[in-house]
Amino acid sequence: MRILFAGDEHPYSEYALKETVKLAMNTWADVTLLGISQATNPVEDTQVGKALRGYRDTFLNSWSREDSPYIQGEGKYEWVPVKTGVVEEMKVLMGRKKDFKVRLRSGSPAREILTESQEDGSDLIVLGCAKGAKCEWANSLPAPQQVVDDADCSVLLVKEQQPVTRIVACLDQGYISQESLEMINQMITIYNARLDLIGLSQNGDMEKSVYTRLIEIGDYYNDRQVEINTRLMDISDFEQLIAQEIKQDLLALWLGKKSLLSRFFSRGWVGRFVSKCPTSVLVMR
Amino acid sequence: MNKLKIMVLDDEPIVCKRLKPALEKQGYEVDTFTQSSDAMEQIKNVEYDVIITDLKMKGIDGMQLLTEAKQRSPKTEVIVITGFATMETAKESFHKGVFDFIAKPFKLSEIQEVVSRAEAKIRGE
Repeated sequence: MRILFAGDEHPYSEYALKETVKLAMNTWADVTLLGISQATNPVEDTQVGKALRGYRDTFLNSWSREDSPYIQGEGKYEWVPVKTGVVEEMKVLMGRKKDFKVRLRSGSPAREILTESQEDGSDLIVLGCAKGAKCEWANSLPAPQQVVDDADCSVLLVKEQQPVTRIVACLDQGYISQESLEMINQMITIYNARLDLIGLSQNGDMEKSVYTRLIEIGDYYNDRQVEINTRLMDISDFEQLIAQEIKQDLLALWLGKKSLLSRFFSRGWVGRFVSKCPTSVLVMR
Repeated sequence: MNKLKIMVLDDEPIVCKRLKPALEKQGYEVDTFTQSSDAMEQIKNVEYDVIITDLKMKGIDGMQLLTEAKQRSPKTEVIVITGFATMETAKESFHKGVFDFIAKPFKLSEIQEVVSRAEAKIRGE
């Protein structure tokens, strides 16, 4: 698994980093810490650079030396591309067991995060956002919503530091990817959480494929001795669920072309729901 | 040069279905198993160069298979793939001599790259 943490210098990014550490501790994923600078030359952005260095220390110091898969090994000379057609031999410190990189990019935050995740082949993007209805980065940047809307991979949006005791996964389509199921499995394990699976229907009707999938998922977790509670809900009650029921929970949403939520709600619903949700949200693809 | 012989064990058939063609494309000989008891029987008869195994399975789990495989053939490289990863299982896997520990989800290229590294080690490159 490859995790991309995207952060700035504000407290919500520290919460997101803590979740990244928790994920990395369990999964031993390859991890990139990414900062986005508004400056043309990212090195000149001392605030983001300083924050990233702090995040790097926090991340690497979260393990005892003998347990860390990220302890840097001996330097090794490698050819590194510096521009098109030119490579330079540089001494690269390789991670002992897993890759760990710290990167700064300059430009529009959402665009740079999405580009980095594509280039790096990320399986999961983790980022924080300000608490409250707007779900922004500082300076009113709508980066988190844009990333959630446009990422190719799953996104964990961290709202604040809080315990997660339950994962509330809302199923609104017959097709779900194997990767998304696996992502839920990891979250169940990491948080030691139980799983509530909600099948969304419209006016009491549920597509046969969704119903079948609901049963299959229930069987899948029963086979793996994972506590799961399955129930049905009308899609018109979904916003109410987010506002009233989600407390110490991780809301997990599947995003797909056949999503009932996409058909029922106008464009940009993901961003709206993610903003409304008082707790962290996992958007799966 | 002999083809590397690889065993893939995962109780989710879709994982075997994805991995087999991807590894065969790299030129490896691949046997897949969805029942850990069958895989355990197989390693008594066949010596694999690389074993890719899930951890959480009904009956014999991946950790037991890893232990048995390394006891029978210490030079077999074992790669653990797991959907329910914990720090303890990662540490235990490495203590038992696993070549790599990969949490799901992963991209096929990630597995292919790890298998290539295992091959380089086996061939002493």
